[in-house]
Amino acid sequence: MNTTTVSQTDFAKSGMFTVATLQKAVAFAVLLLLVVFFSLMSPVFLSWSNAINIMTATSVNAVLGIACTLVIISAGIDLSVGTLMTFCSIIAGVLSINLGLPLWIGIPGALLSGAAVGACSGAIIAYLKIPPFIVTLGFMRALYGLNIVVTSAKPIYFDDQPKYSLISPDSSISALIPGLGIPNAVFVMVLLAIVAAIVLNRTILGRFIYALGSNEEAVRLSGVNVNIWKVGIYALSGMICGIAGLLLSSRLGSAQPAIGMGYELDAIAATVIGGTSLAGGRGTILGTIIGAFIISILSNGLTVLSVADEWKYVATGFILVTAVYVDMRLKYRG
Amino acid sequence: MKKLIAAAALLGAAMALTATAHADAPYYAIIAKGFDHQFWQAVKKGAEDQAKADGVTITFEGPKTEAEIDKQIDILNADFAKKPVGLGFAALDTKAETKALQQYADAKIPIVAFDSGVANDLPVTTCTTDNVAAAAEAAKQLAKAIGDEGEVADEIHDQTSATGLGRRKGFEEEIAKHPKIKLVDTKFANADAKAADDIKAILTAHPNLKGIFASNEGAANGLAIAKKETGSKVIGIGFDSGKKQKDAIMSGLLAGSITQNPVGIGQCAVSSLTKALKGEKLEKVIDTGFYYYTKDNMSDPKIAAVLYD
Amino acid sequence: MSSSEKSHGAQSVSGPKLIELRDIEKRFPGVHALRGVNFDLRAGEVHALMGENGAGKSTLMKILTGVYQPDSGEIIVGGKTVTMPNPRAGQDLGISIIHQELYLMNHLTAAQNIFIGREPRKGLGIFVDNQKLNANAAAIFKRMKIDISPEIEVGGLTVALQQLVEIAKALSFNSKVLIMDEPTSALNETEVAHLFAIIKDLKANGVGIVYITHKMDEVKQIADRITVMRDGQYIDTLPQEDTPISKIISLMVGRELAHASRAEGKVGHEQVLKVSGLNAGKMVKDVSFTLKKGEILGFAGLMGAGRTEVARAIFGADKVQSGEIEIHGKKVKVKSPADAVKQGLAYLSEDRKRFGVVTGLSVRDNVTLPSWSRFTTAGFLMKDREMNKTAAEYVEKLKVKTPSVSQIVRLLSGGNQQKVVISKWLLRDCDVLFFDEPTRGIDVGAKAEIYKLLQSLAEQGKAIVVISSELEEVLRLSHRIIVMCEGRITGELDGKTATQESIMHLATQRQSKAA
Repeated sequence: MNTTTVSQTDFAKSGMFTVATLQKAVAFAVLLLLVVFFSLMSPVFLSWSNAINIMTATSVNAVLGIACTLVIISAGIDLSVGTLMTFCSIIAGVLSINLGLPLWIGIPGALLSGAAVGACSGAIIAYLKIPPFIVTLGFMRALYGLNIVVTSAKPIYFDDQPKYSLISPDSSISALIPGLGIPNAVFVMVLLAIVAAIVLNRTILGRFIYALGSNEEAVRLSGVNVNIWKVGIYALSGMICGIAGLLLSSRLGSAQPAIGMGYELDAIAATVIGGTSLAGGRGTILGTIIGAFIISILSNGLTVLSVADEWKYVATGFILVTAVYVDMRLKYRG
Repeated sequence: MKKLIAAAALLGAAMALTATAHADAPYYAIIAKGFDHQFWQAVKKGAEDQAKADGVTITFEGPKTEAEIDKQIDILNADFAKKPVGLGFAALDTKAETKALQQYADAKIPIVAFDSGVANDLPVTTCTTDNVAAAAEAAKQLAKAIGDEGEVADEIHDQTSATGLGRRKGFEEEIAKHPKIKLVDTKFANADAKAADDIKAILTAHPNLKGIFASNEGAANGLAIAKKETGSKVIGIGFDSGKKQKDAIMSGLLAGSITQNPVGIGQCAVSSLTKALKGEKLEKVIDTGFYYYTKDNMSDPKIAAVLYD
Repeated sequence: MSSSEKSHGAQSVSGPKLIELRDIEKRFPGVHALRGVNFDLRAGEVHALMGENGAGKSTLMKILTGVYQPDSGEIIVGGKTVTMPNPRAGQDLGISIIHQELYLMNHLTAAQNIFIGREPRKGLGIFVDNQKLNANAAAIFKRMKIDISPEIEVGGLTVALQQLVEIAKALSFNSKVLIMDEPTSALNETEVAHLFAIIKDLKANGVGIVYITHKMDEVKQIADRITVMRDGQYIDTLPQEDTPISKIISLMVGRELAHASRAEGKVGHEQVLKVSGLNAGKMVKDVSFTLKKGEILGFAGLMGAGRTEVARAIFGADKVQSGEIEIHGKKVKVKSPADAVKQGLAYLSEDRKRFGVVTGLSVRDNVTLPSWSRFTTAGFLMKDREMNKTAAEYVEKLKVKTPSVSQIVRLLSGGNQQKVVISKWLLRDCDVLFFDEPTRGIDVGAKAEIYKLLQSLAEQGKAIVVISSELEEVLRLSHRIIVMCEGRITGELDGKTATQESIMHLATQRQSKAA
């Protein structure tokens, strides 16, 4: 019987993934189209240094996008990723600068605090049955306030931990391949994307993310403690926000308390453009990475062409709505 | 439910503790533009110092970001209910807030505008930097640094506010006076990372770019990051100060910056109110001044006093 | 009650025919829903439409209101053959339906509900003329002799009053035909009396009413004629006065079918499940029963009798107010489905797509879902290969027709989805299985297969509860049958001697609501 020798390719052929694959293909086509278009329009667009610019500009949004993707596939939403990111970078600052602890405490501390805050919002969503939109909207605002309170509205500078400011912009790969010049932030993004894809496709948590997004009630009636898994999903998302926080604050050399709001919308936009369904159950990490690249290539390309800033926003808005339209069409067909 | 009420009570108590108590001393409401930048912390410091000297109490508030005009109106209205004897106000928009201001004027509460002015006669005076002149100075310094020829660009922090408009105007008008200098691009970003990505794209598009002017702290920090990440030799001139910007000047990433006198602005706002309440006559505009600083004059006490971290 | 039976009898049947349906045929994929159905309604009569669940009453009414179009047959309204491509067309022909679940907008007022989309306008048609709106609604209420303020929010009204608002809405369309689908299911005795008074009034005004119900006493009270349907077929139309209840029931259930395959197999002695004094929500009242190893216990009753609710309460899916559950002689607390599964209980929902399978996941993932934690390395990595193997075993054992275990469950047929659900519980070692409508949406051929599967599971020693609205199914499978009506158990029958009639009698045994 052929059923006993199922391979990964069968997996990819099955219905749920066909639609996602198709949409990923659409998103990828858009990406290629943009690259071709900008390359034709500007001789300087297609250069290695500009590619690095784009990758760097993409990294933080892509990482936040990964956090959003996990939550959105599970039919949730996380509006607090931006300010949680800032919160984590501030925790890193408080631990390693204000308290003078070494980085090997400061960095894990920041990630764990992200996970803890994520677990809190997850627990409120799961046990108190408050819609995730409301809970994370609340966390978004509350964290913004906390960020200002903790820092007294002053940035925390990482001057006393000079290594910290190298984590993100430094290019460790250049030691191996001189002149490659890809900053670590980009590698962190790629690595995280791979790990997140493995979590989604190969681990029990990932399986529950798809299952909950597809039919939460059926999962509950299968005797699964749905609430615990929800907490887990938001905790993981929170920890990934922590990674974004490290990347951004390392690049800026400081934890800036007032930033963060607005990042969640870019991250959600990347996720949606990448084919993740806001209704849950469908989506991929690769799609989100592509989505994040579409946004930053659009921004970079239009800047290189000296197109006025405001058109940048018009273009991303247009692409976002188109992406959701394509998503819906594919869903009803599939 | 009980837990919820208890938590709410606790939160309420915590807020009450942090609120400024103003008992008998005259109370001025000072409303700034936001807390995005360290600039406002310096203004706050100036205002608080002056308040102590004048024997008055103040509250120093502002919306989260410099785009939230509506929030600033809310604050204006809320503070009015606290019955201040004077109002210091940094308008996010020159016209949108006239109605909210009018109630202060109707109640004979003197208004001092600071940082940027408003398009009406309600304030007794305006404590401000002449942004056009300051940005023109930046253009002159940049022209000098690049040998008075070549391509330049500007990264402006805001497309609509008076400071954004003024600094762009000052810079671009001055550049236009230099026939061999060509302005090739203008971008808008107010946050470090976004400004950095913007500037990197500008550098890509214009490999022969000689100089960039960044019109506030966020833009200037972004300029420094972009230069560091690309290794570009472009000459950068910033605006305002802040620790990162000062570091960038020290390390040569930025040639220099224009600083306003934020502490002075804060002081001017409070002292002008005190003077107005005593019935003194004030000029329509009080220029609080600006300086061009480089790593050579940063430790000059006159400069150091107006720089902030 | 018996006096009122006489008060409005067959005399009004002589009114002109408002509608007539001739030889209506309707097929859905795999189901022949209506076969040669005839039906007519005269002005000023109440025509009861009766039949078991699934007899085709709702399909027929959907055809009569333009929701479905018949494959063949004729619809004659007011003497003219018509087609109704959509519900709007039905409305325009003066046909209105009052659904069992009311479709009202709770936050709007009574008047706004009645005239939604047809509000009187003023000021160049920009503004709603509220005065006129309320006056129009008040006029209708006055005609119905009821006292409801047009300006009251309907969400605050009782269900009975909401229903009257729905009727008022139907009248506002000048409907000559009113279809009422189980209108009294949520009403108390007084409210029912009030509704009947209004129906009487409508009759007097020449409105024809199609009255769908299971309740024999109501039929005897208000119907002029009765049409019985069974399995999508038209059976007969009779004058109410000459037809005793027993006749109606036997027409509804049809001739006793050959019981060739009645439940066999020995029921064990070991008591697996004991439920006593269970109360949950509004639909489960003081339910007690026992279940033995190897036994198939049927739960019969009409729709809304509370059978599903009993199963969900025992399974921990809904809140329980009181009652005790013993499993294998031990008292247990089941607060969530997770608890229930740990005790070996499994619930297979009637609504498989919503509660049974995760349609977006593969056969493999669905079969293994309750046991996922068993298939992990280091507690988090999924052993997909092992899952494939296990799933494949069950696919083979239960003869699930699927190209591979990676097939997305959405793409399987109903019968195969059901087998996937059964597999998942067998894999989880559940030995008390609640099957809620195990063959709903499953075609006839696959039904027999599911029956065989259930019987063999019982022979293997599983304890099984089958909740079914198909009497034939209950009779065929059950060793013992519990009948419920309105949340209570009204009787218990031996599977060998029970008949469809005996079940129906118990299933319609309402407790007097006045009591």
